[in-house]
Amino acid sequence: MPKKKISCQINGHSIQVEEGSTIIQAFKKLNQRICHYCWHPGLSVSGVCRLCMVEIEGQGKLQIACNTQVQEGMKVSNQSEKVKTAVRWGLEYHLINHPLDCPICDQAGECELQDQYMEFGSYDSSMSERKVKKRKVLDLGSKIVLDTERCILCTRCVRFTDEVTKTHELGIFNRGDRSEIGCFEDKPLNNNYAINTVDICPVGALTSKHFRFKQRVWYLKTAQSICTGCSTACNTYVDYNEEGIWRVRPRFNKEVNGHWMCDKGRFLFQDMDRKKRLHMALEANDKFWNFLETKVAFEKIKTLLENKTAHFVLTGQYTNEEYEILLKHFSNSVFYIWSQEGQFPKFDKLLLREDRNPNTKTLKKLFPKIKPLTKLEKNKNEIPLLFVLGPENLIFYPDLEEKTKLFSQVKSLVWLGLVKNKFLVCKENFFQIPMKSSFEKTGTFTNYKGLEQKIDKIQSFNSQAVSVEDIIKLLKTDNFKLKEDRAYFKQNQFLNSNQKIW
Amino acid sequence: MEHKLLTEHYHRKSYSTLEGYKERGGYQTLRHALLKKPQEIVEEVKLSGLRGRGGAGFPTGVKWSFLPNNKEDRYLLCNADEGEPGTFKDRMIMEKAPHQLIEAMLISAYAIQAKKSYIYIRGEYQKAYLLLLKALEEARIEGLIGKNILDSSFSHEMDIYLGAGAYICGEETGMISSLEGKKGQPKLKPPFPAVQGYLGKPTIVNNVETLVAVIPIVKQGAKAYRQIGTERSPGTKIFSLSGDVLNPGNYELPLGYSLMDLIYDLGGGMRAGHSLKAVIPGGSSVPILTAKEAERTRLDYESLNELGTFLGSGGVIVLDDSRDMMDILSIILDFYHHESCGQCTPCREGTGWLSKLLKKVCKGMSSQRDWILIQKIAENMQGRTICALSDAAAMPAISFMKKFRNEFEQCLYENTNSSVKGVKESKHA
Repeated sequence: MPKKKISCQINGHSIQVEEGSTIIQAFKKLNQRICHYCWHPGLSVSGVCRLCMVEIEGQGKLQIACNTQVQEGMKVSNQSEKVKTAVRWGLEYHLINHPLDCPICDQAGECELQDQYMEFGSYDSSMSERKVKKRKVLDLGSKIVLDTERCILCTRCVRFTDEVTKTHELGIFNRGDRSEIGCFEDKPLNNNYAINTVDICPVGALTSKHFRFKQRVWYLKTAQSICTGCSTACNTYVDYNEEGIWRVRPRFNKEVNGHWMCDKGRFLFQDMDRKKRLHMALEANDKFWNFLETKVAFEKIKTLLENKTAHFVLTGQYTNEEYEILLKHFSNSVFYIWSQEGQFPKFDKLLLREDRNPNTKTLKKLFPKIKPLTKLEKNKNEIPLLFVLGPENLIFYPDLEEKTKLFSQVKSLVWLGLVKNKFLVCKENFFQIPMKSSFEKTGTFTNYKGLEQKIDKIQSFNSQAVSVEDIIKLLKTDNFKLKEDRAYFKQNQFLNSNQKIW
Repeated sequence: MEHKLLTEHYHRKSYSTLEGYKERGGYQTLRHALLKKPQEIVEEVKLSGLRGRGGAGFPTGVKWSFLPNNKEDRYLLCNADEGEPGTFKDRMIMEKAPHQLIEAMLISAYAIQAKKSYIYIRGEYQKAYLLLLKALEEARIEGLIGKNILDSSFSHEMDIYLGAGAYICGEETGMISSLEGKKGQPKLKPPFPAVQGYLGKPTIVNNVETLVAVIPIVKQGAKAYRQIGTERSPGTKIFSLSGDVLNPGNYELPLGYSLMDLIYDLGGGMRAGHSLKAVIPGGSSVPILTAKEAERTRLDYESLNELGTFLGSGGVIVLDDSRDMMDILSIILDFYHHESCGQCTPCREGTGWLSKLLKKVCKGMSSQRDWILIQKIAENMQGRTICALSDAAAMPAISFMKKFRNEFEQCLYENTNSSVKGVKESKHA
């Protein structure tokens, strides 16, 4: 049954909200600015920052918007001088013991203290006394560092570990202005959702080790994408510049991931690292892998393929469109599925699912007669040419070595992957082709519950990389040219990894 | 004159034992109460106009009637975490008459139909704790706690919990958090404890003295109780007189008693050669009264409210002319800085800031600007937090600054003639 709607007025604008919603939700719904730190839509109300002060008509005392429910006909405002003074002083209290080390703070540029000071504060501090000194670098585990001085004790992170992950690593130690967030020494903050606390930290207190001191956020561009780490397909923001991707953050989607994403998915972009990626196509002779242009490699593959039936090993890591075009052009081929069923723990009741592929759903739907890899083992001698559409996220394929050995037994092989497969045997007619990552192509993924989500090309990082569509064009047409992207890898592809570029 | 309604037998040593207490009519009121309907007792307490004696002065009967009208489990908590500086009345009650508290709690628990109650006692009250433990054991053996108390259908269990020394656990929701095993931090209201308190169940938290005052109300009826005290502040209240008086101690007085009579008649007045300078009438967190204001006031909720201060917990702290007001304020603010739970920003940061400023004042390092600043900081701490600790720190700060500006100005850098690098000698620097 839908909840009863009630109407109220926020800063003179009328709005209807569901019964039981709080004033701050009404503010957010109307897109009216309201200053707050401790309130977060994905967490419980703690009401400690005392900044979301509003004036309710008929009530003398200012109320906090996050813990006050909307009543029928309520008139709420945060524009009066009384509220503004309260907010200004609230900010002053927040800032008196804050170290104001913005120049060396990673949060600078996306710091809510900075934003709200510019919007609601803009005063000279009256504080001339000595600030409270606290610990500056507190290691909370393998992924996160805490600066207790910058912390404004909004307790978002504590509530996150209590309510979302229910792992209870974090807590507040001590009291008064000596309070510090921390965790017990024998229980570090290492759970698979830990970096979400960095996202929800409104200031630069919690920083993740993988992004700390790497980039200034105002030099980064942000794009929307989908995580390919499991069949949940969390919505993400990708922060990148022409040097590459620097971090991935969750993007709110009520239907899929809510406000959060797991750390496993967050670190997937690290496979994009130029040191790890396959820059050009590789062709094997008896001893070495030789570099060659992708186009040249495909000319050779084309001659191998002539009038023969290609066999394909597929993984659930490609887009709907890629599977479709493959099926359209190679409808007579034999397909095998490389699945990792039973290799990972079951759904963790939050986001991370057992199936670590973003698109197994479509793969199984489009290829209903797809064979398991055991079949491949039986007829490995009869396969003239095997294409392995390898996984993008190798960490989710722990059986890579074992399965690569199996593939190596065929006569000729084309391995398509993001990074070099070091387990592949050097054998004549063996190729490795660089693939485009999910950040470099456009398409759709179908997640575990059948929801189709689109990804857009963010930026090309490797001009030699191909998508399945490119492969088909390369094989089926004569004069197809790979699009010459202004890609970062192109200029530096043969750079020694010891060489630094500034 | 004292009006000994609660403390009548406190001079008897045996009153702390079950036998001694029973000899003086103990547990008779409980027997009497168990024959009534619970709702009748609630109505009686409502009629009596009894107001919470812990500090806030909220009408007890009204508080009890906030409980949801259903059969759900509910709890009665006795707030014996008496931490307000200058207050020591509950300690006396618990040390002199532990059974009186137990009886009062049983009556109250019966009235609100609670099956379980806890006494949350201050960590430092070791003697009272041991006495109460013993008294609970005695009462349990006697069948006063347990199943079918005094052959009635009412069953009740009572336990005692020793706090760990945090002032904030005297705030009712802070106490509930602490009792639940969490960090002693006040909870957001709403929901109020009467709806969702200890373990999420409806809970009533009452001060020791409030609960004890239920006994005479049930015994003699609300009408007789209303005869004592004033029209709007009925009954008696135990005042803890301390500071610069000759006879400090606890005095049970009818509300509306003159403050001067308390200080001079009962308290014996100042030391020879000293005169009254100021009085803090209700524990360190209420605004201070100057000698002149104190002269004409009476000790009841309304008279003190008229002067902009509160009856609070009834801890009357008397200060004579030998006291340095800035030093006193510095001590008070240091206390609140130390005891702030650190949850709400205005209190966490504000109490620390005020305390630092006052230390600066005491060192003779402040400037005229600080007079305004201290008041501004304090004003903006008032009414902005979850609990009242922030207000408790702000109110003395504002009142001391306003009423003793001359003493502040004596501490200014330009006015201190100290030979030691311009630093004024201070006892609490």
